[in-house]
Amino acid sequence: MCVGVPMQVVEINYPSGVAEARGVKRNIGLQLLPEGDVNIGDHVIVHVGFAIEKVDEKMADEIWKGFDEIFRLMDEEDEGA
Amino acid sequence: MNKSENLIKHIHSLVPKDRKVKIMNVCGSHEHTIAFSGMRSLMPQNLELIPGPGCPVCVCPESDIINAIKLSKRDDVILVTYGDMLRVPTQQGSIRAEGKNFRMITSPFEAIAIAKNHSDKKIIFFSIGFETTTAPTAAILEMGIPDNLYILSSHRLTPAIMEILVKDADIGIDGFIAPGHVSAIVGSNAWNVFSEKYGIPTVVAGFEAENLLLGIVDILRQIKEGIAETTNVYSNVVRPEGNTQAQRIMHKYFEVSNVNWRGIGYIPDSGLELKSEYSARDARKVFELKEVKEEKIPGCICGEVILGKAYPSKCKLFKKACTPQSPTGPCMVSQEGSCNIWYKTN
Ligand code: SF4
Repeated sequence: MCVGVPMQVVEINYPSGVAEARGVKRNIGLQLLPEGDVNIGDHVIVHVGFAIEKVDEKMADEIWKGFDEIFRLMDEEDEGA
Repeated sequence: MNKSENLIKHIHSLVPKDRKVKIMNVCGSHEHTIAFSGMRSLMPQNLELIPGPGCPVCVCPESDIINAIKLSKRDDVILVTYGDMLRVPTQQGSIRAEGKNFRMITSPFEAIAIAKNHSDKKIIFFSIGFETTTAPTAAILEMGIPDNLYILSSHRLTPAIMEILVKDADIGIDGFIAPGHVSAIVGSNAWNVFSEKYGIPTVVAGFEAENLLLGIVDILRQIKEGIAETTNVYSNVVRPEGNTQAQRIMHKYFEVSNVNWRGIGYIPDSGLELKSEYSARDARKVFELKEVKEEKIPGCICGEVILGKAYPSKCKLFKKACTPQSPTGPCMVSQEGSCNIWYKTN
């Protein structure tokens, strides 16, 4: 439950908004970031439905790359188990 | 040679040759990466990467879970909480097995929606976790919650438990890998106490294997140079001061309290409860919850595992009576629990 996922903000209705990652859209809370700090198109780390920090696109991609690698290794473990 | 291989080579050259070195991570997601990437097997023999208290579900007091089960049995109540909490075993069973009216949520937002859709019921949000989950709960309070929504706070503070660990000579920690997203909230400065007061190199790292390796290299560099600093290899996400808006909102609604950590005991100023101004929202007060005496689970050494004093494989029940499908102790339940992770990777 402590996993933070990078998502891209596609709609803002402060203190809420909508963010998207890998084609999945989700309502998110923006209350933990100052109003006006987040813009449409920004990448944020979302934790239990709330944006906790902004990140640049490169970092968002890198974090996803890390997840993909772990998911792949977990799948391998599952198949092996 | 790729970057990770280079970092591993670096680790081998930096590690002191004449003694053991113990580096502890305090985040379930870090342990996840370390275990699934097979990183441990690539480390020098005398370098131990030990998992610490990075699993919020594991340390949530049995008493709170039993109270949650009892509350869910009331006809006027719907208990809502994160999925992992439903499966945590207690002397009276788990919420999923023994509870009655309960729902799993993935965000505090959903608690609001459920409260609005069931205005005739009392919705109790059993809110657990470290700083990264406390801030979102504080955020819904700031945004305004329906009158029929109550909070059962079982939040815990990461720096508080780390201070217990450094004072325990039995564990003998040489370096900390500080949790990435907790640090995004509290700031990398929150860990300065460990390098400055206790002389323990502390590095904030992210969740990718390469970033973690970079963190380990930096701890070993400090050990070699005989210094202790708090550094940050995840600075694209974590600021020195952290997320000050999140901190402000958390402080507005919560105050520190002396709380029990399951399998470990009471630690002063290590938990968060709602401030008295908000007691009308505090399930503990509104429903007059009484503390239930914690009972040890026979054979389970989860407390030792959380404190980095034992690996899961030391437990006699590991992979025998205790499995992720049928967990005997709390450390086998969630993907952040060391026993769960070790089950899948050892
Ligand atoms: S394997 Fe199960 S019983 Fe043993 S310490 Fe871990 S959670 Fe407890």
